[in-house]
Amino acid sequence: MTSEALIAAPEFSLASVAGGSVTLEELHASGPALVLFVSEECPTCVLTLRRLGPLVEELTGAGLRVAAVFEDALEVAARVARRTGFSGVVLSEPSPYDVSRAYSLDSLPTAVLVDRDGRQAGRVVGWDADGLGALLSVPVTDEAPTRKPGCAAKSTYDAESLRALDGASAFDELEEMFERGWTDGLPVIPPTPSRVDDMLGGRDPDEFLGDMAPAMARVTLERIAACAVLAGCRPDYFPVVVAAVQAALEPVFNVGGQAVTTQPVGQVVVVNGPVRETIGLNGGVGALGPGWRANMTIGRALRLVVSLTGGGFPGRLDRSALGQPGKVGLCFAEDEEVSPWEPLHVSRGFPAGRSVVTVFGADAPLSISDHRSTGPEELARVLGEAAAATWSPNWWPLGGTSLFVICPEHARSFAEWGWSKQRVREAIFEAVRRPAAALRWGETTPLVGAAADDQPIGKWSSPEEIVLVVAGGEAGRFSAVFGPCLGMNAEVISKEVPWTT
Amino acid sequence: MDYVSPFDERRRVAEPLAPRRSSLEGARIALLDINKRQGDRFLDRIEERLRSRGAETFRVVKEIFSKPAGPEIVRRIANRGDLVVEGLAD
Repeated sequence: MTSEALIAAPEFSLASVAGGSVTLEELHASGPALVLFVSEECPTCVLTLRRLGPLVEELTGAGLRVAAVFEDALEVAARVARRTGFSGVVLSEPSPYDVSRAYSLDSLPTAVLVDRDGRQAGRVVGWDADGLGALLSVPVTDEAPTRKPGCAAKSTYDAESLRALDGASAFDELEEMFERGWTDGLPVIPPTPSRVDDMLGGRDPDEFLGDMAPAMARVTLERIAACAVLAGCRPDYFPVVVAAVQAALEPVFNVGGQAVTTQPVGQVVVVNGPVRETIGLNGGVGALGPGWRANMTIGRALRLVVSLTGGGFPGRLDRSALGQPGKVGLCFAEDEEVSPWEPLHVSRGFPAGRSVVTVFGADAPLSISDHRSTGPEELARVLGEAAAATWSPNWWPLGGTSLFVICPEHARSFAEWGWSKQRVREAIFEAVRRPAAALRWGETTPLVGAAADDQPIGKWSSPEEIVLVVAGGEAGRFSAVFGPCLGMNAEVISKEVPWTT
Repeated sequence: MDYVSPFDERRRVAEPLAPRRSSLEGARIALLDINKRQGDRFLDRIEERLRSRGAETFRVVKEIFSKPAGPEIVRRIANRGDLVVEGLAD
């Protein structure tokens, strides 16, 4: 500690992240103040803020105001303070850093203790646990390192360096989102309070929907709205996003397990009912994307709730070995008007006129071409045999629900042949069987291991594990199947859309 | 610029680590099998080695690996054990 006692501390008035400006006089009006000069780029400054952060409350209680003066823009100061858990006064000093110059700073961090008469009572340069403990008269953590030098203060830069620095630090709102990590890797819409308010549409932001694993984060309407804004949703999509999140929060969906598993699973959202028309959700050509805002952004909003709010971020707690494009988000409408069968939500017990969201924990979709089948048994078998390869070719039975998206041409053929949806499900179920002996290579189930050689084993345990929805372009005989998320006991969940816009 | 965070910003306080034991002699060790394939093989070997160093062991099995252990499992471990070894697998 270098004593600077009795030297007057230069006065300043600086912008505060809390709004307005704060002067040095205000800081020491009723007692001493600690003024801590820092910058985002300096690792020692970040360490100092992290370590002094937990002491701020105690120091304030003892009558010492603690203020950090950032040689950074206000937004940057706010972010760094938030990230480091620093809860003191946060101020921003503009270039060319006249306040730092007035204090004759050489390097950051520099902590200056100002007494209540506005005199410098001492200063500590760099991280110096003992020095700060003596300056503040409180024990400071003795965690290593106990001493660490900092970086040059920006006030020491020459004019040319400052110009380069100012050019580089121009605030870019979209880049800011990447810096914060509020993204899935694609650009997002910044969730400003006004955008989030529009998304909420007057609803209570603090309404609590549940805790989401793995972070066990409190999921509120406001956080869902923030994710919906980030994803690019329009406010009229919001009730559909909320229904999807409500479904994902059901404990039997086990979203925490799905979020962290090494299997590359995402959450697929199927929407039925009048809301499809209201918000322009596509169930026709290209239904699985890309190309339609509602489809792309609703699915993405759910995934952002899982990966940001819920903590299942890829490469961190999400350990998905490969990932897959569907993990960005996948939402589509069933084309109920083209389907010859009852829609999914009706099969699941909802009245036809209601808007309902159904979520599946699902693997990547597998496209299935069939332009040649001449009868329903043959077409059902093609669909089933394609699904036989999902999870792993010899893992029978799957132990989960497969979601088939039947294209309109395939659906029409089944209808012309007089087959109901249930009959197609049963035919797919019946068609995919093998004797146990044929499945005994590679990854096999305990059931296959224990069965007699000629015992027939099915890919599914019952037709109930086969779900069919109709979607896709009017021409083209390409259906698809989503293999299930396994090992999670994840059930398929439906929720009614809670309000209309 | 002010933004609405998608995160639950409550500060989490890390739980302090329990005191480390200097010896395994006489320690009661729960071997938590999360019920994932081959985890039992791993724990069998760990059990053998722990017993050879004087520890007493007992097995606890989760219902399914992908969900947190329920309160009953945690209670059984806490009531009887000094230490726990969890066997991840595949």
